[in-house]
Amino acid sequence: MKMTKSLLAVISLTVLLSGCSGVGVKPWERDIMATKAMQLNTQPNITAFHDHNYFSKEGSSGGRTFDGGGCGCN
Amino acid sequence: MQLKKRKNGQVLKSLGLVTANLFMATHGMAQAIDDIANELGTTSLDTALLFYQESGDRVRAIEPVSSLKITGENGNVLYARVTYDSLTGATPNGAAPWTGTQTFTTPAPPPDEDMSVTSASGRKTYVTIPGTGTRVAQYTAAANELPLDAGFKDTRYALDLGYSSLWDTDTTTSFGLSGSKEKDFTSYSLNAAISQALFDKNTTLGLGLNLEFDTSDPQYGIPTPMTEMNGLLKGPSDSKTVTSINAGITQVMNRIWLFQLNYNIGWSNGYQTDPYKIVSLVNPVTGAPVKYLYESRPDSRVRQSVYMGNKIALGSTVADISLRYYHDDWGINSITAEVSDRIPISDRLFIEPEARYYTQDAADFFNYYLLNGSTKPEFASADGRLAKFNALTLGVKLGYSFTPDSEVYLVAEDYKQKGDAKVAGAPGALANETFFSGVHAASLMMGFKYRF
Repeated sequence: MKMTKSLLAVISLTVLLSGCSGVGVKPWERDIMATKAMQLNTQPNITAFHDHNYFSKEGSSGGRTFDGGGCGCN
Repeated sequence: MQLKKRKNGQVLKSLGLVTANLFMATHGMAQAIDDIANELGTTSLDTALLFYQESGDRVRAIEPVSSLKITGENGNVLYARVTYDSLTGATPNGAAPWTGTQTFTTPAPPPDEDMSVTSASGRKTYVTIPGTGTRVAQYTAAANELPLDAGFKDTRYALDLGYSSLWDTDTTTSFGLSGSKEKDFTSYSLNAAISQALFDKNTTLGLGLNLEFDTSDPQYGIPTPMTEMNGLLKGPSDSKTVTSINAGITQVMNRIWLFQLNYNIGWSNGYQTDPYKIVSLVNPVTGAPVKYLYESRPDSRVRQSVYMGNKIALGSTVADISLRYYHDDWGINSITAEVSDRIPISDRLFIEPEARYYTQDAADFFNYYLLNGSTKPEFASADGRLAKFNALTLGVKLGYSFTPDSEVYLVAEDYKQKGDAKVAGAPGALANETFFSGVHAASLMMGFKYRF
């Protein structure tokens, strides 16, 4: 619960900050942001390989997206 | 006349140069435009193949995957991915190593049945217990070696479908379905999410829900937890449900920095024990194995994680830096840090070195062995995935674009777990045994992307 509250505080702060002039860009300043390399998941198949492998070999899962695994993972 | 000719020649030559320069400029511009991640009105096909091999004759996986993404002119996206997994090899059964040979007994298939499901291999022998007529399978672990289940063979098929649509220029909704089938495990899930862009699209808030239903159906049934390992057929299949919520924010910090923060919580309820894993019950003085018990895990688990991702353009390179903190009520806390840097070698070729560090605590009920004569705990597991360890992945990715719409990529990685090999205070000869050997795996991924 403590962690949830802290997280909500961080999200609220980020949203508030984004309304400030120092954060964000104007539409005409998105040249770099719009490139393929700046996308959050440039190689979805590799990300899926990684998520599946790490889910099978470690005790943690989730984060980038939903947890769970959909495998028996011997 | 000759002067005129020469002049005409010079004019033509100049025109040629201008044309060439214009072509080069246009070509350069095209390259720049093609680097833009605008996929409106396109279809992308991405096919890849994974080879995964653990050292010590352990798990080997070959996994082809193919995904299709159709993006409409209006920004709506239809996504489909098909995965096939072929798994073979050996995996630790959870028992503690010992100074002598250990023999493990499991149910056996009827003599005429295909023994291709998780557990069968040439390293198992089949015997009939005198007086009972019960046919069982047996395998052994050599002295001072971590006992491995003598090999499994399984296949997995998975299908993921997703559709996202723009409600207006700033609001996107998405829905997805997933199904995965192994010989002894089935999983279905359903998800829905909404995202809202704010402040000139500099901020995007997202909220998603995922519902998963899993069924565990081992070949010889599900054993009763904490009972002695034996060769008798076990109980029926069992299931669990997982409900997960993901809340996130993506923020354009400035022209070169994109920041992402996610909070993920998941509630799992139902059967979460590994039906193939056992725990050694040992003599409290000598450490010798007395018998082997089927492991036992709680029926509920609550997982939480906070993920922070960053994309930062530094000159011509793009760094990807992320950190994840994970906590669950089984007592596992973990931290994962990942960093990679995409470095262009030319207009067509890039190289991306990557590193990942992972560290986790042990689950509360994790024990490499239980002492005979002591009160039996409700939950116990010696599964190495629930142990305290850390892991390091080092890798490199290469990508080459034949054309602006086609790319091949290659990823090579080395993954190695490290943990405490010895157990402090272990009784008798167990004090000298190596309990944690960890996974050491090499993987190679090759893929081809084409957009049309």
